[in-house]
Amino acid sequence: MQHDDLAKAWARAISATAYVPLSPAELEALLRELLDLLPKDPETVARRLVEAHVVGPESLRRTIDLLLPVFGPELLANLSSCYAFAMRQDAFDQQEQIKLALLASKRHAERTLKVSEARFREVFTSSALGIAITDFSGICVEANDTLAEIVGHGSLVGRSLFDFFHPADAQHLHLAYRKVREGLVDRFREQRKLIRHDGEPVWVYLAGSLLHDADGVPAHHVTMIEDISELHLLQKNLDHQLLHDLLTGLSNRQRFVTQLEKLHLRGPITLYHLDLDSFAVVNNGLGHDAGDKLLREVARRLNNVVPAGAVLARIGGDEFAIVSPAGNVPEMVALIQEELTEPTFVDGHGIALSASIGVVDRPALGTPIPELLRAANSALREAKARGKRQWALYDAHADALRRDHHSLAAAMPGAVESGELEIAYEPVLNLATRSPLGLHARLRWGTLHHAQTLALAEETGLSLPIGQWLLREACRYAAEHPDAPMLHVTLSALQSRDEDLVGHVKRTLDETGLPPSRLRVALNIGSVVAGDDNVQVLADSGIATGLDGFRGGYDHLELLAELPVRAVLVRAPVPAPDSVLHKAIRDMVTAVHALGAKVVVDDVASAADADWWAAAGADAACLRAV
Amino acid sequence: MTLSWVPEGVDTGLPSAARLYDYLLGGGHNFAADRALAEKFLKAQPNARTIARLNRAFLRRAVLFLIDNGIRQFLDLGSGIPTVGNVHEIAQKADPDARVVYVDFEDVAVAHSRLILEHDDRATIIQEDMTEPEAVLEAARKSGLIDFSQPVGVLTVGVFHFVSPERDPARVIAAYRDAVAPGSYLAFSQFTQDLQPEEMAGIVEVMKKSMNPMYPRTKAEISGLFSGFDIVEPGVVPLPLWRPEGPNDDDPAKAGIFAAVGRKR
Repeated sequence: MQHDDLAKAWARAISATAYVPLSPAELEALLRELLDLLPKDPETVARRLVEAHVVGPESLRRTIDLLLPVFGPELLANLSSCYAFAMRQDAFDQQEQIKLALLASKRHAERTLKVSEARFREVFTSSALGIAITDFSGICVEANDTLAEIVGHGSLVGRSLFDFFHPADAQHLHLAYRKVREGLVDRFREQRKLIRHDGEPVWVYLAGSLLHDADGVPAHHVTMIEDISELHLLQKNLDHQLLHDLLTGLSNRQRFVTQLEKLHLRGPITLYHLDLDSFAVVNNGLGHDAGDKLLREVARRLNNVVPAGAVLARIGGDEFAIVSPAGNVPEMVALIQEELTEPTFVDGHGIALSASIGVVDRPALGTPIPELLRAANSALREAKARGKRQWALYDAHADALRRDHHSLAAAMPGAVESGELEIAYEPVLNLATRSPLGLHARLRWGTLHHAQTLALAEETGLSLPIGQWLLREACRYAAEHPDAPMLHVTLSALQSRDEDLVGHVKRTLDETGLPPSRLRVALNIGSVVAGDDNVQVLADSGIATGLDGFRGGYDHLELLAELPVRAVLVRAPVPAPDSVLHKAIRDMVTAVHALGAKVVVDDVASAADADWWAAAGADAACLRAV
Repeated sequence: MTLSWVPEGVDTGLPSAARLYDYLLGGGHNFAADRALAEKFLKAQPNARTIARLNRAFLRRAVLFLIDNGIRQFLDLGSGIPTVGNVHEIAQKADPDARVVYVDFEDVAVAHSRLILEHDDRATIIQEDMTEPEAVLEAARKSGLIDFSQPVGVLTVGVFHFVSPERDPARVIAAYRDAVAPGSYLAFSQFTQDLQPEEMAGIVEVMKKSMNPMYPRTKAEISGLFSGFDIVEPGVVPLPLWRPEGPNDDDPAKAGIFAAVGRKR
């Protein structure tokens, strides 16, 4: 019983001196057992204490303090010496253990090293990269065969890698190595040129880094070199393709623009924009291969006439451009045409070519490049409008007019949308009595009169809806004014051909409530000549029709014979007093009458003109609105 | 440095925290450099031996607590060199079928563990950096000792103070948490500046020059690492207050290290 308490006290005394991986109860049980064993076998007690890890610096002292009164100094001295021996044994065991661990870890490290060394060897020898380990002066300590191949030299060991640097790159590379050496950067990678042993340049990617020795001191450079000559060529090739026309080898549009910009900055220039006349004929007639051959030939010939310092480019299918320092334009144009006129033989066909040429000469210095190109194109169109083999200088004024026209056309859809278009009603007069016969509904848009408005509408594809709008509005107007005279509406060419014209006219009459008898519709005579049967169907529906744009030719007269036409609209200036046309016009009027139609003169400018037409036998006139 | 029994070519000049711990526990698996560091450590924190003992005792209690709660597989992160009262010894004494995967990065600790575990087919050591959970988990799976469909006891005892803020401690813990089944446990202890801030600052200073600088954490920071876990009673507490087995004289205020165990939700 006494030992139980003692064990408990002993456990308390030592538990704070060392970590014993036991629960308090387990420790007490252990110590209880050891207390019984102590008088007989202090050596075992000491060994088991150490085994249980009762090994703190204070463990023994506290044990002795506690046990001394019970077991006496002799036994405890014995225990102490056994304990010391056990501790020593334990320490040896542990040291042996950690020595083995150290050995194992060293062997492991060596094995890893060996493997990594072998791997390094493998990489070094079989790499597609050239690898060199050099000292700081560039002398190769090791270099693989790949590198030797790249520089075309036998073993490089002992030779300076720096000797193979291209002179233009050497200084830069030395600097890059120094930065690596001084630890400013870990590595560098650059595209550089080497000079092979045989003097040929090699394009390479060159990566340099630092190799430390076992003590971590920088000792060598490692340089990896990738031969990218092929890649470089490919790249160059691609760049070339991006900037050149594949067919002719000339600069393409993109490159021309940059070169134009350069020259334009440098001083006065002349810009020529060429378009081959009738090239489509060659392409369609002889095939694209022939066309391609011809284009190559044209490129070659133009090259002959392009002066030094000028740039020639193919900027479109059959379009070429030349920019040169400002020079004599007519001379240059003559040279070009002369060069092109000489027949080219393609597949046995002799082809003489010519070009239309737009020229921008000495444009103002600040003119933006797109504006220059547009101006040249504008001049080219001007030249083409004059026929083949023509050239035109860029004319800012003419260009402005054209641009006004274009901007008007562009504005038309908006104008229709916002109701800017108006209808003017012009009187139709009986020429014999000068009494009103009817009203002619005409378009008006701002200052533009009917014909101009309609022409724009035709260009923008709006003539059909605008014509329909005109018809509907005019019918509504007439229906609202039952006392107003006959309504005359002249249809646009597109409207005259409209398959649904008759249906549309009928619907409009139904909707507006205008009786068919009060409407006269004039169709565009060109559309009728083309074989459209709208005239016949309208007449069948009880709507009187006329033909607009009558000029009295055979085909026009023939229509009158065939179709139930009520009237023709003539638009012609009054001839000069002594002109033979007086009689001719009178004869035409007679012929129309003979075919059963009336003659209505449109756009009569003055009362005097009306008198003349009355004398010529015409039946009615639309007076030009003032 | 010359030690007759140390194999040639092994650098024992750099002290290691694992061997310092061994020395403080009264072990002999250490070198002069480790002991020199330990002396400085003891100067900064005279209670260091006790703290080492208390930490080791917490490990034992925590493992047994986990065993009581049905855990039979353990992942011991940063296990260090095997010293007295290793996890597999404690666990397998309770249940011989318990499996343990130790994780450490240091060559000697790993080699030593291999020697110790040579004849134990239920315990192994993998050499990985515990702050790279993906690599650790991959190797743990490959070991075949841990079935991740069953709860795991993840232990990081007296080691997380070596994880720098740059390693993103929360991410590290979260990665292990996400890899283990619900009902798994995390047993955790590490140095704190909440107890004895001056001594702690001294330790940080001493360890700055070693291979293992230290990053103490506050109670709040430690609690924060248990995101996704329910911290079991008595919470985050100084070592001796965590489920003590009996009365003892250890002063919690001088225990240096907070301990906690959490159960994954």
